Amino acid sequence: MEENKETSRRKFLDNGLKLGVAAAIGSIGLSKLASKLYANNTSNSSEKMELMTTDGTIVQVDSSEVVEVIKAQIGDMAHMNKSDVREGIPNRKFVMVIDLAKCKNALKCVISCNKHHFVTGENAWIKVHKMQESKDTAPYWMPRTCMHCDQPACVTVCPVDATFKRRDGLVLIDNERCIGCRFCMAACPYSIRVFNWSEPEQGGMSEIMMNMDMGHENLSIEYAGLPSKKGTVDKCDFCPHAIKNNELPHCVTACPNGVFYFGDKYEDTVTNGEETVRFSKLIKDKAGYRLMEELGTAPSVYYLPPVNRLVKFEDGLENYKKYESVETRNE
Amino acid sequence: MKNYDVLLKDLAPRKFGKRGTIWVIFLSIIIVIGLFAYIDQIIKGQVVTNMRDYALWGIYISNFVFFVATSFVGSVTVAVLRLTNNSWRTPLVRIAEIISLSAIVMAGLTIMIDMGRPDRLLNLFLHARLQSPITWDVIIIPTSIALSFLLLYFPLLPDLALLKKHFKSAKPKYSKWYGKLALNWSGSKAQKLIQEKSIKIIAVMIIPVGILLQTIDAWLFSTTYRIGWDSTNMGAYFISGAFVAGVGALITMVYILRKVRSLENYITEYHFDKMGKYLVLACFTYLYFNINEYLIPIFTAPVEEDIHLNALISGEYAPIFWFAQIVGLLLPILILLFKKGRKPFPMFIVGLMVVVGSWWKRYVIVTPTLLHPFLPIEGVPESWHHYFPSIHEWLITFATLAMCLLLITLLVRYLPIIPIQRTADEQELLNIDKN
Amino acid sequence: MKILNNYPILFLAFLFAFIFNVEMPQLHAQDVKKSTVRLKADYYKIMDGDIYFDLAATARVDGENITVPNIDLILTNEFNGEEVELGTTTTNKMGKSKYILKSINELKPDSLNIYTVNVSFKGNEKFKRASRTVSFKDASITASIITKDSINYVSAIIKETSTDSLLSDQYLNVQVQRLFRPLRIGEEFNSTDKNGTIIVPVAEGIPGIDGNLIIEVVLLDSDDYGTVKAIINAPLGKPIVEESTFDQRTMWSPRGKTPLFLLIFPNLIIFGMWGLIIYLFINLFKISKS
Repeated sequence: MEENKETSRRKFLDNGLKLGVAAAIGSIGLSKLASKLYANNTSNSSEKMELMTTDGTIVQVDSSEVVEVIKAQIGDMAHMNKSDVREGIPNRKFVMVIDLAKCKNALKCVISCNKHHFVTGENAWIKVHKMQESKDTAPYWMPRTCMHCDQPACVTVCPVDATFKRRDGLVLIDNERCIGCRFCMAACPYSIRVFNWSEPEQGGMSEIMMNMDMGHENLSIEYAGLPSKKGTVDKCDFCPHAIKNNELPHCVTACPNGVFYFGDKYEDTVTNGEETVRFSKLIKDKAGYRLMEELGTAPSVYYLPPVNRLVKFEDGLENYKKYESVETRNE
Repeated sequence: MKNYDVLLKDLAPRKFGKRGTIWVIFLSIIIVIGLFAYIDQIIKGQVVTNMRDYALWGIYISNFVFFVATSFVGSVTVAVLRLTNNSWRTPLVRIAEIISLSAIVMAGLTIMIDMGRPDRLLNLFLHARLQSPITWDVIIIPTSIALSFLLLYFPLLPDLALLKKHFKSAKPKYSKWYGKLALNWSGSKAQKLIQEKSIKIIAVMIIPVGILLQTIDAWLFSTTYRIGWDSTNMGAYFISGAFVAGVGALITMVYILRKVRSLENYITEYHFDKMGKYLVLACFTYLYFNINEYLIPIFTAPVEEDIHLNALISGEYAPIFWFAQIVGLLLPILILLFKKGRKPFPMFIVGLMVVVGSWWKRYVIVTPTLLHPFLPIEGVPESWHHYFPSIHEWLITFATLAMCLLLITLLVRYLPIIPIQRTADEQELLNIDKN
Repeated sequence: MKILNNYPILFLAFLFAFIFNVEMPQLHAQDVKKSTVRLKADYYKIMDGDIYFDLAATARVDGENITVPNIDLILTNEFNGEEVELGTTTTNKMGKSKYILKSINELKPDSLNIYTVNVSFKGNEKFKRASRTVSFKDASITASIITKDSINYVSAIIKETSTDSLLSDQYLNVQVQRLFRPLRIGEEFNSTDKNGTIIVPVAEGIPGIDGNLIIEVVLLDSDDYGTVKAIINAPLGKPIVEESTFDQRTMWSPRGKTPLFLLIFPNLIIFGMWGLIIYLFINLFKISKS
């Protein structure tokens, strides 16, 4: 009940800000928070740069006005509290379609994902599996993200509600709450979850750099579960930080072969960046399926069977290393 | 009254001898070493273990399961034998209660060692979700601890009062403590009435609580999609396994205490014979569930399960698997079926075999399953495909085992390990019968 | 307040640059080899909406393509040999910026009705100066929904605004607005006829919130007219039905939405057990008192 009250209060604040009456509702708390954040920026003496990073498409008119806009935005983000992260984006249901006919184990998805989520080596969230059901069936490459199941086994078993299922279909992790029991990892039949066994390396990113890049510390809706924390579980998050800016997840944009399609199921539209198609038609035409449907986890990721392949399976073998992780390369 | 004096002399707590002191020091050293290893684990993270993303649980969990299983001895000997009116239990119940309490307390402690963020322990209560089997565990373990404590404490009251009197002149300090713990026990009718009623309630309660505890422990595994865990057999399998482990631990402990404290007059070969038969019953039950668990899937095993079973029966885990099955189950059955096998010393060996076998059995339940996921293990170092505990894990695990033994040792040191009052009462009854 | 907040930074930056220059000439010397900035400027016109320039700055440094953040770009309107500065904008982290015109009247065309805007970068210690010119004529699209034989069509007409002449043989895209990329409806290329018109049927069953579709008719990246987009709202879609189990009591819900059976039975057991345990402790107390 208390939570609900708080949520509605936050929502009111958010809407208020969006209506552009930031000044009017500049209650003590808000202004304090905003000025605090702002003060931090100035003391870092990197104010200008950070101001620029927080929003991509600000129109620069007058410097004083810009400050005003940014201030409102920082306030906005500071008020995107945990319950908003847990609620998700309304009227959306994100799905992914992975076309196995196009995958040739280029591993660009893994590299890009590692880079943008500051994970390294064995902690990679995406894997490309070399699949072959039996010796007489065809081998194929199978990229595997989190399935973001609609009936997630991992969420069911979490004792502290650290991993949660959102309205928009995303399964995320609150690594400020995770106790590191790893039951979710045991429960996931797709073995997608990874654990930070030691202090995460963050790909050489220092904490300061990361905060600068994100503009805040793990507060907003886009960065649930980032940065990684020692003793907690990590996994593919479907890039809510990209979705928020109407951008596609990093694996989708990084793939040179257009393997990944991503979109909103309610809109019945998925895109791999190059072509945009009706989701239902794509699944129908190419006989899409979901991994381990029989388990009843209802994944949000669909696979298109590896038929009429554009690339030879053998081409992918040169990138295949069973016992080695894909190391982050600077592109 | 003379009767009491003999009993008190035989059964009252005694100071550690030389061996006892060495034993306690030895355990303390192991515990301290383990503590250092644990502090190191907290600083560096669980990277010091050999657990990784695939073998995500290791001996911390199997050791926890072992403790939970061992704690079942309280329910299974004290309560079951009480409800079935088996009077041979009298000299054994106190030891069983002590093992039970120590094991369940240690189970609660060991599960925390496995947590990646022990600093967030409170989240388990603050954000508890009833859908998670871990929450059920969080509820049932304190319940079991409370009940095991009460099961030990209520029958102790008259003995504590006796000890208060016993130590009055020799050791007034002890006497004072025993007096406090005895809660003004005078043996009045009203007190006896409350005590009897309470014990009856506990005896009835501890059976469902014990079964729940074992079952929830099994559900930690069977509520996942993993091959080898996702089995409806799991609950009963764990209960029967706990039956074996508990009785095994009891026999071992009883033998040692009988030796150390020269209790041959109280714990006779008759008792060992009975315990032996009881253990055979347990082993047969467990064997039955083992057949269900490992033999029957051969008929309908999907490919993944086939791989898993092969790894157990003839692959990487075959040595441990067969060790646990043969040493921990089949040989004990064979030995205990013979009357000579149920003599104290062979029983002690069998008890040890059962305990060690049970420990490794839990290892075999936890580890291989995790290394046989549905999707191939790829893109990780070769070492992640296997699991064997690291030094840190061994040190910490040994420390928990040592801590359990130390707890038992201390309880044995300060409490009468055979109920004095009850023994006296029963002897009186016997005398009356004779007369 | 705002100004006060800004000035120390500027001052510090200035001071820093000064010290840097004076004390480390050798470092400065290394920086002489400046890189070339490549500017990209595209003109966009949304009918009944914004008119803006999409600007992007990239550079090739050490054989790698990078975006150039944080540089000032100056926009100038050029016509009949005159130059009028429109304003300045700064690129963001991604090296991008958007400059919005209040209206097309801010710009002056030349005698051929061609607007020319120059985007320039003055250069700094790392990058050389650069500039880029965009030229375009003003075109407008009007779009509407028509229904014939119970089939819905999007009809659109494209005109050149200054001469009010219909434009034929222009390729228009008809698409539904979507979260990431628009979903094309109709043919891949819809070429306008001599009346400057296209007619494209709207497929059945395209979902939209409350059945509303936002349909765009776009002249994309034309050499003469830039990008022109008309947006219409059409209640022709299938209403979205939320499938999420978020509001239900499920096994994967948070604590507040635990299934009832899981609330009732475990709690009955818990309270039953602990009730008895408390009773037993009370019994201990009673023993000590009697």
